[in-house]
Amino acid sequence: MEDKEMSPEASLDLIQTMIGKARKRYTDNSFFFLLWGWIVLTASSAHFYFVTYTDFEHPYIGWSLTIVGGVISGIVGARKGKNSVVRNYTDKMYGWLWFSLGMAMFTIIFNGEMVNWQIVPLIMLLAGVGTVVSGAMMGFVPLQLGGAAFWALAIISFRQPENYQMLLMGLGVAVGYLLPGYMMRYKLKSHGV
Amino acid sequence: MAFRALDPLLHSQLRLAVMSLLISVESADFVYIKEQTGATAGNLSVQLDKLSTAGYIEVSKHFEGKKPKTTCKVTPKGLDAFESYVKSIQQYLKP
Repeated sequence: MEDKEMSPEASLDLIQTMIGKARKRYTDNSFFFLLWGWIVLTASSAHFYFVTYTDFEHPYIGWSLTIVGGVISGIVGARKGKNSVVRNYTDKMYGWLWFSLGMAMFTIIFNGEMVNWQIVPLIMLLAGVGTVVSGAMMGFVPLQLGGAAFWALAIISFRQPENYQMLLMGLGVAVGYLLPGYMMRYKLKSHGV
Repeated sequence: MAFRALDPLLHSQLRLAVMSLLISVESADFVYIKEQTGATAGNLSVQLDKLSTAGYIEVSKHFEGKKPKTTCKVTPKGLDAFESYVKSIQQYLKP
């Protein structure tokens, strides 16, 4: 491209072309959905098993995996940001959305007693918000449907005992995180992104 | 009706391409801008300097390991100038 003057029509065309180029970039965030999908599925299945079939005193032990998930997410997210050649507003909003939801989830978990231990449905409601909004930001419908599934399962979950809430949570992440996560990964790979 | 004069800093192909790219993102690396505009490194450096001197963009240089990295982002002044430029073009294009 040379440093030359243009007609107003050519200027407008150039502006449209360059804005289009900047908008075409997709960010593959499937890693985070798959990481958290597998962590929550493992922890909730273990929790269900311990509560239903054993007398184990600490059925929630599997949830300690979330600490590992938090550390991995922080490191991978920071590295992605550092290595990216362009920072767009969608990525920034996406990061803040999940950070805010993470803070809200953390608050609910550590004040479980105050909400009569109805932690699972509340977490699913928040996960649904994050998933639906992420899907809308990326223009990826399977994520939006996955988020809606979280909400539907949260309504059922409010009326279930602890062990079945864990099963519903596992189903929620399978439909809300894992399925759309693998679909996103496949879609971006098949488009060469 | 009097036509507004087009901002000479923006009414140039490469500088306008850079500004159009930068208003769509929060910040972009020199390498990314070079790839998207297809400009040579030398020419792009000169045009970025002009936009930076005018206060339209903010250029920050830092090292990532041993590699130098130049990042550019549009300033509020640059955004105003761009909006005003687009309005001027629209005036020219009105039937």
